[in-house]
Amino acid sequence: MSDNVTAHSVVEPSSLTKRIAGILVVLYAIITMVPLGWIVLTGFKSPPDSISYPPKIVFDPTLEGYCNLFTTRSRQTAEYLASLPPPSGTCESIARARNLVVVSESKFVPRFWNSVVIAFGSTALAVFLGTLSAYGFSRFRVPLKDDLLFFILSTRMMPPIAVAIPIYLMYRELGLQDTKLGMILLYTAVNVSLAVWLLKGFIDEIPREYEEAAMIDGYSRLQAFRKVVLPQAVTGIAATAIFCLIFAWNEYAFAVLLTSGEAQTAPPFIPIIIGEGGQDWPAVAAGTTLFLVPIVIFTVLLRKHLLRGITFGAVRK
Amino acid sequence: MMREPARTSRRKRLSPRGIAEAAATVVIALGVVMLMQPLSLTLYGWSFPTTLVGTVMFLIGSKLPE
Amino acid sequence: MRFAEKVATVTPAAPARRVRSLSDRTIAWLFIAPTIVLLLAINVFPLIWTVRLSFTNYRANRMNVPLRDVGLQHYNDILTSPDVWAAMQVTARFVIATILIQTVLGFALAWLVDKKFRGHGLWTTVILLPMMLSPAVVGNFWTFLYQPQIGLFNYVVSFFTGIPPSSFQMLGDLTLSPWAIVLVDTWMWTPYVMLICLAGLRSIPDYIYEAAEVDRASKWRQFWTITLPMAAPFIMLAVLFRAIENFKMFDMVNLLTGGGPGSTTEVASITLKREAFEKWRTGYSSAFAIILFVTVFGLANIYVKALNRLKQR
Repeated sequence: MSDNVTAHSVVEPSSLTKRIAGILVVLYAIITMVPLGWIVLTGFKSPPDSISYPPKIVFDPTLEGYCNLFTTRSRQTAEYLASLPPPSGTCESIARARNLVVVSESKFVPRFWNSVVIAFGSTALAVFLGTLSAYGFSRFRVPLKDDLLFFILSTRMMPPIAVAIPIYLMYRELGLQDTKLGMILLYTAVNVSLAVWLLKGFIDEIPREYEEAAMIDGYSRLQAFRKVVLPQAVTGIAATAIFCLIFAWNEYAFAVLLTSGEAQTAPPFIPIIIGEGGQDWPAVAAGTTLFLVPIVIFTVLLRKHLLRGITFGAVRK
Repeated sequence: MMREPARTSRRKRLSPRGIAEAAATVVIALGVVMLMQPLSLTLYGWSFPTTLVGTVMFLIGSKLPE
Repeated sequence: MRFAEKVATVTPAAPARRVRSLSDRTIAWLFIAPTIVLLLAINVFPLIWTVRLSFTNYRANRMNVPLRDVGLQHYNDILTSPDVWAAMQVTARFVIATILIQTVLGFALAWLVDKKFRGHGLWTTVILLPMMLSPAVVGNFWTFLYQPQIGLFNYVVSFFTGIPPSSFQMLGDLTLSPWAIVLVDTWMWTPYVMLICLAGLRSIPDYIYEAAEVDRASKWRQFWTITLPMAAPFIMLAVLFRAIENFKMFDMVNLLTGGGPGSTTEVASITLKREAFEKWRTGYSSAFAIILFVTVFGLANIYVKALNRLKQR
């Protein structure tokens, strides 16, 4: 940028303009961060603090929300509590202070684990299938190529509720209802379209000459694909994988309609975390925080490829 | 086999394909507007057929020569 | 593999090439087929089934009732139903409001970020965060922010305006609840519009502005004659995509209001969910699904055309 300052000088904004622009953008960023910050804070509040008026910014941080997220508790009489041995562990003592005892672990961990399995499973499958097809579309003359590519993309744009009706019936027939395998297949189908489009863009950018040279050296087409194209496409494949992961991780509509127990993921589970007398907001906030942390990390990793991802590879910056 | 998409835009609008796609776009847009307008229940009733016709036009139109 | 390589190097060139050109076709087929098969199984087959069901009286919760053909009855019912029409209008108002606000705000932000102030990269990443999050999980938390007495949103509003925080309910009020959803959607998706607009602004070469400066065109004029027209295809793309997405909006509305109060926020997807998974009118909702389907498919055609046009630049 600095090497052609003279060429840019006419259109380079003045430092005052820059400063004002900076202030406005930072202001917007801070405002949009408030809800997220509030989620994190609420996770460390006690239930009374979380619903106090005016809303508390300064409070005694507690792990109660996280404890409530991971456990189920029951209310006990004072005599019974007195008869118990002294509490072991943080969560037990927090519960005792509220005349409760920890009964069992909550379903949060299994639901979170379902999210992990389904997201990673479908991503691996989608990226695998997507890489193969993207290479096929990028390098070979495929009959009806444009139509196939459009068909692949259009499947992603379909309204989830409309798709869920026949999938529900189909899965019921096949016994895939409320199974991880069923959800993995469904998310793979949704993600593979993005994977094909994104990866086709990435593979298009790898010069064909590389493979041709390798093939002249005696590599077969498959070897050239494996040893020349794949290493070159690693960044693209990683970016695509993260996009697929985020979609599968966030997905709610299919999950809420097609899963109820066994295969339920975190998004439909977190909103129904209930404490005594209504929603347990610190626990919900704690669950939300844990759920969002991976995405924040992924977003930072992905920031250079975001634009590509949201335009299906069409705009490459 | 398939024409490269890069060649599509240069002579757009003049080709049968360009005209068909533009017309189909208008028909689809009309159908969507009819579906969601608050003025006439009759228009709303005809919205789905209109969108369907537009979509079919688009699919056929994209097969025409450029 | 080593062995295969050796064989390949030892094999004379001419036959090897013939084998390669033969197998290219096979490879193309082998590489593409699994994806197509998966999509046929998970998307196309169910779609055809939906079309079939849309002509019947099928109910997913009463499978013993004999299947009866009802012809176009469901389509006729839906397309003459004032309730469904009302849901479409709710959807339309939601789509129009969100797109207008997000486009203006997103473009303005992009324009500011494009001034390349110090640290703009970092702040752009911060701004982009909401759009990556789960609309359901975060949308759910907004119901807490919107609580009348204890919610942060009501507190902030009352702090700046003096209106008592318990005097209004963002999610329970007939006039406010649509705006509650618009606000969350805007919070979440303005970054999306911003990112695409930013790409549009950055695609404009500097020499055009330099030429305009030479011609002494005012900044105002430059904006209307250079910036906006040249970024227009990008804005168009963002608008189309957001329109499609919000036309089928489900998760956020389902969690924030569930379509209520009354039916003020009942968008098409919510109506469809009620018909399909609460009233179990599978045949009727299949017809409804097909109507939404065709609409989205038509819009998707336009979107992909816009996408391909940008790709060729």
